[in-house]
Amino acid sequence: MFESLDLDLVLDALASVLLVIGGLMSLAAGIGLVRLPDLHSRMHAATKPQVLGLLSLLLAAAITWRAWEWVPIVILAWGLQLLTAPVSAHVVGRSGYRTKHMRRDLLTHDELASAVERISKDQPPERR
Amino acid sequence: MLEIAVHITQVLLALGAAGAVYRVYKGPSVLDRVISLDVMLIIVASMMIVDMVVNDHQDFILFVVVTAVIGFLGAVAIARYVVVRSPEEVAEETAAQDPFPEPPTSPVLPGVPGENEPEAPHDPVSTPAMPGIDDEEDESTSWFSALTRSGFTPRPLDENDAAEEEAVDSDPAESDSTAPDSTAPDSTAADPTAPKKEEDRDV
Repeated sequence: MFESLDLDLVLDALASVLLVIGGLMSLAAGIGLVRLPDLHSRMHAATKPQVLGLLSLLLAAAITWRAWEWVPIVILAWGLQLLTAPVSAHVVGRSGYRTKHMRRDLLTHDELASAVERISKDQPPERR
Repeated sequence: MLEIAVHITQVLLALGAAGAVYRVYKGPSVLDRVISLDVMLIIVASMMIVDMVVNDHQDFILFVVVTAVIGFLGAVAIARYVVVRSPEEVAEETAAQDPFPEPPTSPVLPGVPGENEPEAPHDPVSTPAMPGIDDEEDESTSWFSALTRSGFTPRPLDENDAAEEEAVDSDPAESDSTAPDSTAPDSTAADPTAPKKEEDRDV
């Protein structure tokens, strides 16, 4: 009786901490979306609740339900998010680079510029 | 204790959603709005998870599963049709040195395009276009040609590639014209202005 009650308390505390962590991730995404200067750095902030925030919230839900039969669905939800988030981020970042929605003065190193420069070797590189 | 954590979490989620809404309202390009809407979708799913935690039910778990697919499809479908800008706008932007031009309040009507101009609409940010229909070029290379029209002069790719591979693999003295471009690929990490050997061709 006491042991199970203690276990309930511990699990509730763990779920509470995980819930607050998930909320903090979405708060970080909101602050990053407001404050960061250009598209690619905003993308960096936007992926926080997609992966880590969703993981902690789903873990909290699975802990409070205390049922093993929902664990595969939780894993499916998180795994699907984990698989699709890099693809959409890649596509958005690529089209942001192509349409020049970025601030080149904030970059420390542009690795894609070599591919663009490869087709423009005859020109002096003033348009990078 | 769980109730207090739930209240804190709801406040934090609301603040995050407020930031995303601000970015949707303010965002200079459609891509900012896309990622902000993605964040808002995730926050809605998170609120549903919190509701499931509070009321101890599993009714919304299917939406949480579907959310991943919805956000993925929306981001990919919108980012697929973002327009490559026309060379006049790129020239204006490089002249003005303004990386974030404000979107025009009244949409500029596209004039009659000449034979050398790309058939892209003049509003670069908010107008979706179908580049595969108006353009007879391949979509995967049309952005290269748009960059080329904005001042680049491309050379044939296969000759370039062969020269670069040869220069990288063997000693750089063999390749005559491209030798100063492809020597010492290790030093390019320190110097961002130096051209480096290509590593990301499928971009």
